[in-house]
Amino acid sequence: MGFDLAFALSSVPTILGAVGTTLFVALVSCIGAAATGFLFEMVRRVGGIAGLLIGFVIDFIRSTPVLAWLYFLYFVLPFYGIRLGSMTVGVMGLSLYYSGYLAEVFKAGIDAIPRGQSEAARALSLSRRDAVIHVIAPQMLRNIAAPLGNYFVSILKATPYLAVLAVPEMLGQAFDIASETYRYTEPLVVAGIIFLVLALAISHGVKRLEQRLLAVGAR
Amino acid sequence: MSIQSDTIVDIQGLNKWFGALHVLKNVDLAVASGTRVVVCGPSGSGKSTLIRCINGLETYQQGTLRLAGTMLGLSARETAAARRQTGMVFQSFNLFPHLTVLSNCTLALRRVAGRSRAEAEDIAMAHLEKVRIPEKAQSYPGQLSGGQQQRVAIARALCLNPRIMLFDEPTSALDPEMIKEVLDVMVTLARDGMTMVCVTHEMGFAREVAGQVVFMDGGCILDSASSRDFFGSAGHPRSRLFLEKILKH
Repeated sequence: MGFDLAFALSSVPTILGAVGTTLFVALVSCIGAAATGFLFEMVRRVGGIAGLLIGFVIDFIRSTPVLAWLYFLYFVLPFYGIRLGSMTVGVMGLSLYYSGYLAEVFKAGIDAIPRGQSEAARALSLSRRDAVIHVIAPQMLRNIAAPLGNYFVSILKATPYLAVLAVPEMLGQAFDIASETYRYTEPLVVAGIIFLVLALAISHGVKRLEQRLLAVGAR
Repeated sequence: MSIQSDTIVDIQGLNKWFGALHVLKNVDLAVASGTRVVVCGPSGSGKSTLIRCINGLETYQQGTLRLAGTMLGLSARETAAARRQTGMVFQSFNLFPHLTVLSNCTLALRRVAGRSRAEAEDIAMAHLEKVRIPEKAQSYPGQLSGGQQQRVAIARALCLNPRIMLFDEPTSALDPEMIKEVLDVMVTLARDGMTMVCVTHEMGFAREVAGQVVFMDGGCILDSASSRDFFGSAGHPRSRLFLEKILKH
């Protein structure tokens, strides 16, 4: 069974048609995971009972499979009256799952900032909020641009999990074509190539962002 | 000397522990507005901890510390309000590396003092002129020498118009040829009448501007005298020994 280029090309429009869904899910999940992860890390840093609790939540999230989260949100929550759409569940699941990892990345990025920076912010009477926004976060971002980019690529590559919820993302669409035609090679290769291109584009973008961040101030 | 109403820092019976380590032992110190106090002593003597207590960067366990009439450590809000009366300069400069020199100076003006960008920049430029580095306003800290960075740090601290400036070994991280440019700025500041508490081993500076020199060892203030007495013959034996050691070379 060889590779039928004409058939491969004929599958491209359908698969490409799902790129929008894939990118949308990936983008919203990246934002959701980064926002939630940052919030988690901030609460963990403040400490106290809330900090301990969040620390446990982060460890718990990181120790469970992402599919378990998706199944749980989609199939278990309705028993408690919470019925969410498959797209919502997908984005929530990926956001929550990766927030645990990103919290760890943020932690490393903040730990790498010299203590004197937050002391200077305090000595200047900046509020805790202003210190985070104007002093800590920008330097953290510079420290973690590379690992953050890696996780964004990971989130992109995790979007096919949403096929189990019948979200029409790219790999699912390719697989549907395959199931209908019994030709697996071409659609899967096409989907794979599109993922590759997207992932490379993200990596490249992050690398350029990192260079720009590092150029500022040139320490 | 009696405590006057213009006493800006009034410390009585201050004790601080880091875990089991007793780092400040019954420290008494009063700083009157418009005066300069130099704190010296061997490393580990508690002098940095003391100056960091004055603006509430460090807490203490016993005694009283009044800053501009506010007892520090009772309420976070009051402590923060009192801290606004202070400016601090650190040994390691602690400029924000991702911000330009100008933005380092305007950040607190805009976020804390609520100034507009234009107002903040005018004030910041005036202080950068004062520390003789206005031409570096658009540079980043990483592009400056240590001496330049420390002068920017002084300008940044001055921007909020503090009533007292705290210097924590401001020249200890500098190459010898850069120490002078920083000390010159500090001398100018002293001549302008700024109240200063300065942890330093620059005895020439102390002799020139300090009204009072405090010598610490082992968490205690062993000697506290006018600079004339301190550098004269009347000092405490331990501070004499210290002076002989650091002035010899």
